[in-house]
Amino acid sequence: MLESIGKALRIRGLSKTYFTRSGEAVEALCPVNMDIRAGEFVAVVGPSGCGKSTLLQILAGITEPSAGEAYADDTRIHGPSIDRSMVFQNYALFPWLSVRRNVEFGLEHKGVPKAERREIAERYLKMVGLSAFADKQTNELSGGMKQRVAIARAFAVDPSVILMDEPFGALDALSRRLLQRELLRIWQEHRKTVLFITHSVVEAIYLADRIVVMTARPGRIRSEIEVDLEHPRDNTSPQFAELERDIYAQLDEELTRSFGLDQDA
Amino acid sequence: MSSKPSSSTPPPSVAMGRRAAGVSGAVLRGGGKRLLPFVYAAVTIAVIWELVVVITKPDAAILPSPWQSAQTFAHLVANGELARDVYASLRRVLSAWAGAAVIGIPLGLVMGYSHRFEKIADPFIELLRPISPLAWIPLAILWFGIGEIGKVFVVFIGTFFPIVLTTVAGVKSIDPTLINAGRVYGCTSGISLFRKVILPASLPSIVVGLRISFGMGWAAIIAAELVAAQSGLGFLIANGMEILRADEVLVGMVVIGVLGVMFDSVFRYAHRRLVWTE
Ligand SMILES: Nc1ncnc2c1ncn2[C@@H]1O[C@H](COP(=O)(O)OP(=O)(O)O)[C@@H](O)[C@H]1O
Ligand SMILES: [Mg+2]
Repeated sequence: MLESIGKALRIRGLSKTYFTRSGEAVEALCPVNMDIRAGEFVAVVGPSGCGKSTLLQILAGITEPSAGEAYADDTRIHGPSIDRSMVFQNYALFPWLSVRRNVEFGLEHKGVPKAERREIAERYLKMVGLSAFADKQTNELSGGMKQRVAIARAFAVDPSVILMDEPFGALDALSRRLLQRELLRIWQEHRKTVLFITHSVVEAIYLADRIVVMTARPGRIRSEIEVDLEHPRDNTSPQFAELERDIYAQLDEELTRSFGLDQDA
Repeated sequence: MSSKPSSSTPPPSVAMGRRAAGVSGAVLRGGGKRLLPFVYAAVTIAVIWELVVVITKPDAAILPSPWQSAQTFAHLVANGELARDVYASLRRVLSAWAGAAVIGIPLGLVMGYSHRFEKIADPFIELLRPISPLAWIPLAILWFGIGEIGKVFVVFIGTFFPIVLTTVAGVKSIDPTLINAGRVYGCTSGISLFRKVILPASLPSIVVGLRISFGMGWAAIIAAELVAAQSGLGFLIANGMEILRADEVLVGMVVIGVLGVMFDSVFRYAHRRLVWTE
């Protein structure tokens, strides 16, 4: 297929309707079409409840879409694959395993031999600056450190796509800035395809090659914005501020609409 | 043997207790400190018991003094009878409890994970659970006679339900993103998901269930042995009643209590050492 060349993720007419226990239908995602190039860093912003997590879970293979399909490297996504790893907002580390064993978890299931597993885990823990914490239990770590372990776990399996669902949403402002810089450095080094969900417009502009703005629920793609700024990006530059203003204006419109206030606008 | 020694000298346990309390800060640490409340309770009970004996002067066949009972204890230890009864009770409890764990934990894991399976299995559990294991003793005797199987069966009933229910609760309390993380990071089959995520994530609840059920099993085996047995601590106290040996009954009761506390602290220790927190 010609159109798929160089595309790590291809999303065609993907939609999702949940049914609550009472049988009520909740339309979470309207048909969404999107292409993501290999090595591209795409951020998704949108009002909460617009189906961002749903989209990511479908791509991870842990939720089935109601209609449409998604392809990863031309293979239809059906169930999870270790080739698409994920970073969760609440870290989702396994608390019964040490930091090192958490990073090794995916490698074990990939069938990597023990000695090699250890070596890889060490390398990725070094990458996130946590070599000294390899034998700690996860409950001894701060939130920022936990998320760094989760990032090491996601990169260690050498996936082609990394899905991140508001990974820094639960962190304090300083840890957040630090982890943004670290993620950028790691991404520039490894060039993985990243789909990154965030509530923070500034975070999206700071990190992403392209920003996808979604509408209020049921979520559709409202616009896509290429960010043509050199890294490291200066959030006080006029271009940065211009982008920020533009995206906020779009989100404000969506929020207004979702509260049914459009007639006043 | 009369009750003279006990009324003229303080029971040895009291003297020991005072000495232990005097040096507690310096000598007793860790395990010793945790033992102190038990020593305090035991000493208090012994003192009251002694006072009752001194004041009411009952027949030794009805209520012997603590000192007399201690001598009976030493005698039963020396002739090996106590060890035999402890071993008999313990073997029954352990085999029934282990069997209940082997069946109950996997059942609870699947029930907690699959709504459909829970709908199938839960009504039976809810229906049978309120029936005390003691209510099964008559049937156990009818079905299995007074051999080992009947008693193991009664303890199995008493330990099975708490193990299943705590396991189910443990699985249900697992953060769903942890299960998603397990699936994303390679647990593609149900078996590997159970082994690598669901079992370890619910382990804290399972260990609590194992501990609670062991206590229930320990209570149930005594009851079963009271009714139908030729050995065991329950037999020791039932037999003591029949031959009017209250001292043997009391020794049996104290041993049941002390062993119960010991097992419980072993479980607490195992829980602290083995189980992750948070
Ligand atoms: N399992 C579910 N059952 C029913 N409704 C759900 C379920 N998961 C999400 N939803 C609903 O779908 C919508 C989109 O959810 P989500 O994808 O989590 O949004 P976002 O991540 O953008 O905040 C929300 O209205 C949410 O309440
Ligand atoms: Mg979300």
